[in-house]
Amino acid sequence: MNDFSDIEKQLRKLRPVQPSADLMTRIERELAEEASERSTHLRTETARHVSTAGVLPRERKFRFNWRSVGFGLAAATALVLFAFLRLERPAKKTPSLAGLSPVPAFSTNSNAQLVPAGLTQVVYHTRDEGLHFSRNSDQPMRRVRSHTRETLQWRNPTTGASLQISYPSEQVSLVPVTGQ
Amino acid sequence: MENVATDENWKTCFAQLAPGLLLFARQWARSPADAEDIVQEAFVRFWRKHHDIANRGLLYATVRSIALDFLRRDSRRARRESMAIADIDQTVPPTFEIEDESQRQLVAALDLLPNEQREVLVMKIWNELTFAEIASTLEISQNTAASRYRYALATLKKNLPSV
Repeated sequence: MNDFSDIEKQLRKLRPVQPSADLMTRIERELAEEASERSTHLRTETARHVSTAGVLPRERKFRFNWRSVGFGLAAATALVLFAFLRLERPAKKTPSLAGLSPVPAFSTNSNAQLVPAGLTQVVYHTRDEGLHFSRNSDQPMRRVRSHTRETLQWRNPTTGASLQISYPSEQVSLVPVTGQ
Repeated sequence: MENVATDENWKTCFAQLAPGLLLFARQWARSPADAEDIVQEAFVRFWRKHHDIANRGLLYATVRSIALDFLRRDSRRARRESMAIADIDQTVPPTFEIEDESQRQLVAALDLLPNEQREVLVMKIWNELTFAEIASTLEISQNTAASRYRYALATLKKNLPSV
């Protein structure tokens, strides 16, 4: 049982004073002002679009623009063809790019359960050592020295164990120089 | 949505809520005119934003926020917010249409309540807000709101043994 029911009853009998009649008028005026500002704004916006007095602008209707659709479809087709041709072209081998090779064809002889999982070759430095004239060729060659780090990975599919070997390597390549 | 504030039904809503809102605002206002200004600003702001009328907690929170802004505006610039809130006890107490001596005593006892208890009482008794709505308005827990209400009633009962 609520111990305070009597006091609550007494409190509820108290009537708060009513607001002055002026308050409602003030609120009405303020809300009306706001509504009028809104309509003025709307009229201004409308007037901006009216070309001649008394003539309302025609309501904008959605029109299907077939020309835009045609252009869009042609562009999309060209993009798809371009992507397809790029995929068909064999990838050019560049020494300065790091790449993930397909799974190497060799396997470890220490544990038959380990299968090759990947070979990564990162070229981190390339130096052009200039022209080189070899004895058995009359054509000058350009000698390029590359420093790479190769990482070989094996994985046991049953246990999930993996083995990784990483080592640095140096490669010198001779590139024929064509005269211009 | 019929619950949303629209231009058509504001008078009905205001007529129902105004006495309670005014009583609530007078806890912070220095004069009845200030209290009416606070209610006007809060109600117009609430109405313009087309809030859900059922969200009374938001309406009372708006009144409270504007009332505290009024207090701060009146205070000296260097005064800190805590001092402005401390001024609340010097403000005009809630006023009622008093019919007899017992009611006069009750109102006098009400004026002596700490502000934090009085505001919960005003919201609960004369604005019929739930404790959940009071809690959301004052940003306190429902338990705190309920306990402030009980403390207020206990204090009134203690100060008015005849009730």
